[in-house]
Amino acid sequence: MPPTLRCASVIPSSSCTKHLCRAAAQSSRPFSTTPRHDQRATRARRALFRWLGSQGENFRNPLNGSTNYMGAYNREGQLKRVVESELFKARAREDKGQEPAKPEEAGKDDKNKTLPEETTRDRIPFPLNRNFVSQPVLSEELREEIWQRIMKGGKSVREVSADLKVEMSRVGAVVRLKEVEKEWKRILTFDVKGKPLARPYAQAVMSMLPKTPYDSESVVAHESINDLPVHASTGQQIFHPTSESRHFTRADAAKVFSKNLLPADDRIPHPELVIQHRERVVEELTIEQRQERALMRAEAADKITAAKAAKAAKKEAAIQKIDTGRWEFRFTPINSDDIGKDGRGHKGVGWRYGVPLYDRSRGQVKIPTSVE
Amino acid sequence: MSRRRFHGLRRLKFRMTWNKYNLYNLSRMTPSNYANFGATYFQQKWAAKAATRAYHGEQIREKQWERMFTPRLNAAIPMDHRYLGEHDGSELAAGRGSGLEKPFDPKKTSMGKNQVPYMHMTYAPAERRLDVAIFRALFASSARQARQFVTHGKVKVNGKKMPYPGYLLNPGDMFQVDPERVLFATGQAKTPEQVKAGREILRRRRIANTRRDERKKERKEKALQEIANKKVSAERAAEPAAKPVEDRPVGTDKEARKQRKNDLQELGKQIKAIMENRKAPPPAKRKQELRALNKEIKATMSLINRRPATEIQDKTDDLTAQLTKLYVSNPLARFKPTSKPEVTTPEKAETPAASQAPEESPEEKKQLREAMMLYRENPIDESKPYATPWAPRPYMSAFAFIPRYLEVNHNICSAVYLRHPVAKPGLAEVPTPFNAEVMQLAFNWYLRRR
Repeated sequence: MPPTLRCASVIPSSSCTKHLCRAAAQSSRPFSTTPRHDQRATRARRALFRWLGSQGENFRNPLNGSTNYMGAYNREGQLKRVVESELFKARAREDKGQEPAKPEEAGKDDKNKTLPEETTRDRIPFPLNRNFVSQPVLSEELREEIWQRIMKGGKSVREVSADLKVEMSRVGAVVRLKEVEKEWKRILTFDVKGKPLARPYAQAVMSMLPKTPYDSESVVAHESINDLPVHASTGQQIFHPTSESRHFTRADAAKVFSKNLLPADDRIPHPELVIQHRERVVEELTIEQRQERALMRAEAADKITAAKAAKAAKKEAAIQKIDTGRWEFRFTPINSDDIGKDGRGHKGVGWRYGVPLYDRSRGQVKIPTSVE
Repeated sequence: MSRRRFHGLRRLKFRMTWNKYNLYNLSRMTPSNYANFGATYFQQKWAAKAATRAYHGEQIREKQWERMFTPRLNAAIPMDHRYLGEHDGSELAAGRGSGLEKPFDPKKTSMGKNQVPYMHMTYAPAERRLDVAIFRALFASSARQARQFVTHGKVKVNGKKMPYPGYLLNPGDMFQVDPERVLFATGQAKTPEQVKAGREILRRRRIANTRRDERKKERKEKALQEIANKKVSAERAAEPAAKPVEDRPVGTDKEARKQRKNDLQELGKQIKAIMENRKAPPPAKRKQELRALNKEIKATMSLINRRPATEIQDKTDDLTAQLTKLYVSNPLARFKPTSKPEVTTPEKAETPAASQAPEESPEEKKQLREAMMLYRENPIDESKPYATPWAPRPYMSAFAFIPRYLEVNHNICSAVYLRHPVAKPGLAEVPTPFNAEVMQLAFNWYLRRR
């Protein structure tokens, strides 16, 4: 079969002329014969614009004082929570024996009043996936409070995390980011050319997201702080026969799963909360006793950190340093025997005869794996 | 064959973008789009893989993703420290068959509600990539754009430039994106006229800069020549006569004047923008008032270096007050700052206002100050690559969410990757538009033995 011919631009066929004329009306290249398929008005495109004009119009601008996800709307493009509250009100009116409100009046009410409170259902961005919910982020005030407590109040990350119900890693990150923000602000006060903060952007984004507020009287929990990571060795089902009279605890169960697996009490981020609760409620110790125990624990923890610091200092001291003013040269003693008998030991240093270097070979990934 | 459309309408593929076509496609997605029950298992897996990969790391090559994939899925279970403190775990094993165990009640158990959605974690390794994390932190309007920011060197990881979009973030890594780029990515686009005007401004600026540099160079050369001449003459005279250079007073007064000048210029720009607003042109009466205001601004500008700074400041405040009175809510600022609890400050109320305008209440003053702040923070600047004053791009709010494994500070356009995403009972942290069945089919596709 001969190849299909594109109509020549010189003597176009009748259908082609029509096509060209239409193209010429829009195009800046009137003699081009390339079929303009990009902006053709197909049925699908018409449906798209119909949707954008009706249901899609809800998403064009953010909702005032609320999130605006697709999961919050029904097929007709109405907010589910508004529809429900209207129904609820209508039912309440019927119960009282009043006349139902006219639809015009109901519409007026909508605009004047604020929206009903949003629920988890309204925070689902992808309607098909109900397991992904847009969870609240820390509000500006809460972040400032965290920074204040750590940098001004001198509290530890662990304490602040337990008090405000925010993960420890998040507390650290908040302080780190706040420090950078304050540094930028400080630079801006005396240098006009400093980096300006993206304040309008931040305000807009925060208005679109659910937020955890800060309340000095009652703490609003931001997230669960005692998350137990599921260990790979607990994935298996084990049939472990043991005597009925045995007091079989979590620690025993951990041993059965794996020799080195710690029980859940020691693998959660805040084991001190468990201990404190046990001392207070189960063992019913007095305040003095509890304080004494807490002191002992703190001492033990200090000892461990001191030992770690001493070890690191010793390692650092083993390095010979020569400061030339511009560079600091560091010399570490090496042992030539580290290469082992076959000369291929991984601790060995430097290039060795017969051991291939793959640095220049094809397919080696050069992307760094970590940045300090 | 022409390149396939990225946001197609016929072949429904949901992508990692904030595009309106994409939003429409999301609204059309139904479970039956992907789970074709007439098809073989292999066909179902293929379709699920194709659909999910079009969203998750579409910019990654298939082989690359296959190397990243791991069948090990991370999960975490929230523990109650009170329960752990009161029980040691033996209560779960005690009394089996002797009455301690409660009979199974199907009404009380929530079937599947608290299950850990492991299958949604299939694409968790892709979330570790730098470009995806930037998109998730709302710094870019698509994963591809985020990738471009990285390759163009606008992204730093722990303070160092990171040009690789495939860099896998480690827990605790902080990444920063250039705020200008973020504003461009998330802001509204310019109209063609604005683009033209912006180009013209940049061109003029470039010319002015080159001229200034030339003049500087000339002056430098001249100065060098003079020094050389002086040296020669000094040698000849054999007695150096150096005049002490007078220090010019560089005080806060000068800076204040400069600031006022900027404010006035800003005000002028606002008025100009209101007058030239084609979509909502101001009525004739309002136009007259605006023109009068503009005239006054110009008059004040000419006096800036002649009158004391405080007087100029009062005048500027007065002019701003007049403009805010004309437009109670700034017509150009589409985003008002969130109203804070109103605190009346007695000190500020006591200071006498030296303007001709009638006495203002502290609340009005506060409003005024806020309006001024808004002008300063979100100015009209046509040289920017986005429409000014900045406003979020359309359809952004439907895609605006931040997963829990990131902690973001939008003021400085920086974020910290806290940990790898995990699944919790009833919740998965990997944002994906697909349901569990499709994700399971995709997961099975990538298992080594399928």
